[in-house]
Amino acid sequence: MNETFSIRQVFEGKWTQGAIPLVLLVALLLVIEIAAPGFLTGETLALLFANTAVLFILATGVTFAILLGGIDLSIQAVASLASVMMAQLLPSLGFAAFPVAILSGLAFGLLSGIVHVKLRVPSFVATLATGGVVTGLALWVSNGRAITIEEAGREKTAWINATIFGLPVVVLISALIGIVSFLALRYTRFGRQAIAVGAGEPAAWAAGINVDRTKIIAFAASGMLAAIAGVVLAARLSSGSPVLANQLLLPAIAAVIVGGTAITGGLGGVARTAVGALIISIVRIGMTFVGVNIFLENMVFGAVLIAAVAITIDRSKIAVIK
Amino acid sequence: MTIDTEPLKSVSDIERTTLMTFIPGRIAVMFGGRRWRGLAPLAVLVVLCVLITIANPNFIELRNLVRLANSAAVPLTLAMGLTFIILMGSIDLSVEGTLSVAAMVVVLLAANDSNGNDYGWWAVLAAVVAGTVMGLISGLVQTMLRIPSFMATLGMWFIGLGLSVYMLGGSAIRLNDASIRDLALYRFLGLPLAVWVAVGAFALAAIIQYHTRLGRHILAIGGDEDVTKLSGVNVTRVRIAAFALAGFFFGIAGVLAAAQLGQSHAVIGDGRLFAAVTAVVVGGTALTGGEGGVVNTLIGVLIVTVLANGMILLGISPYIQQTVQGLMIIAAVALSLDRVRLKIVK
Repeated sequence: MNETFSIRQVFEGKWTQGAIPLVLLVALLLVIEIAAPGFLTGETLALLFANTAVLFILATGVTFAILLGGIDLSIQAVASLASVMMAQLLPSLGFAAFPVAILSGLAFGLLSGIVHVKLRVPSFVATLATGGVVTGLALWVSNGRAITIEEAGREKTAWINATIFGLPVVVLISALIGIVSFLALRYTRFGRQAIAVGAGEPAAWAAGINVDRTKIIAFAASGMLAAIAGVVLAARLSSGSPVLANQLLLPAIAAVIVGGTAITGGLGGVARTAVGALIISIVRIGMTFVGVNIFLENMVFGAVLIAAVAITIDRSKIAVIK
Repeated sequence: MTIDTEPLKSVSDIERTTLMTFIPGRIAVMFGGRRWRGLAPLAVLVVLCVLITIANPNFIELRNLVRLANSAAVPLTLAMGLTFIILMGSIDLSVEGTLSVAAMVVVLLAANDSNGNDYGWWAVLAAVVAGTVMGLISGLVQTMLRIPSFMATLGMWFIGLGLSVYMLGGSAIRLNDASIRDLALYRFLGLPLAVWVAVGAFALAAIIQYHTRLGRHILAIGGDEDVTKLSGVNVTRVRIAAFALAGFFFGIAGVLAAAQLGQSHAVIGDGRLFAAVTAVVVGGTALTGGEGGVVNTLIGVLIVTVLANGMILLGISPYIQQTVQGLMIIAAVALSLDRVRLKIVK
């Protein structure tokens, strides 16, 4: 297969895989600018970024799990629980509700990681299980209802919805998270080890990397970022609900894969996820713009996900595709 | 999802002594190895029934047992399909999507309060075919595009969900066909027809697993796919057939769910994937494939249903059920630990 030049070869080249999403993003932006002149102004772009922020934070968390060759299917549950905790705790705890909600995400991320690594459960089942645990808790705590954040609570979340120098604070939060995650993956020992584990687990193990610890940290990071996304979502919508983020699992995973991170791990990163999240966001706006029924969005994202996985996957790494 | 790593066996030996893996391992040893571990789910079921009966004697009233059987019908039918997929070492996350497509098809084609269709039992047939086609597509995507089943079926999950919600227009549509509603309302020997359909699904699944070539090949693929392939089995065809078979069962379950609720809506599938996976895993079918089967799953479904029923009888919030099911998955997998130990798990 490698001897002859083929389209598949182009797709499987590392360089093109990184560049295609970026080209796609620019093309999408140009198409929209031509269709609706004035789109590429500061104001609408700021709005686009603000609407992408929650998706990007979630997707950044999953990027850690996917880079290791795993997956986290509990992010929407963790984000929803965080939103419920915010709504429940803001009246009594005030600002302390923020760290409590975010730490709950860290705790459940840790749980996912420990179940996955120590009990040797495939990550999609481990996180499906923790996701169920978390959803049950969120339903229980909230009695299955959406909880509105009242006036007193809104005062404490108002800063998230504010703008600084014309930039929405949510954009700044997601940019900060993106930069920290980018640096953590590129310049810390954990980051390098995470990519090594994703690229080749047996080799990483043989080289003396603490694979288990690396994986647990990655899943903890994924859980914590999911909780932060839940907190931001709760502040934006002024409510918490046990199903608040359910619609975000698929777009978040799609953002990571469309951005060019391979589901097999080891290849990709946060910068690609940022591009992927923007693509998903623009496609979503575009679909509304063209008049695609909102209920069909899930179908489109499901198909896009399958296509993107088929293109980016590194098949040489899986002996048997199960 | 798993890779054999013979050279790493020594590393795994060290791993064996760490505390977290040690304790569940010990419990597994206490159960006395393979033979007893096979009976553990049954023991759990019996103990569960006894404990709940002691706490609330209403549990063994005939009325409650009928209710129990009724609420086990849909999960049992779903879990039959899922068992074959997990036996191959794969997973099907499209359970909820396929179920909602089938429920949507039956409601829209039979007499309903939204359009003028009234195709009667042809609607049921169409729904089961729709489920089978969804499964077929999952199988084709997985084998032809060569992507792991959890990604392929994650995509199919949302494709199915999107399609059904779109066709329903985002609202709930009532099923007015009396003969289809009879699946839930008419009783034969004291049990609703839906229960008999589920029992039929179980019998069919048992026949397929134990007495057909397809069932044997599915088990063989789960045991060792390479060896199966070298033995001359057309693995691709078996995989596609297994996913289509799973879709067939999900389709039947969709019809039953629509008949039981008397309508179809956007969230008809919510939580079903989770209950089905829990049932299969708790019954003792290994996620790595090749071990377990539909009889295990029957016990698993009963455990999940009895527990849910018992929690209601004991006055525990039904909202916490998913939490308990999640913990049960973790516990069940932990107990079936030792054969997974020599592999890298992703």
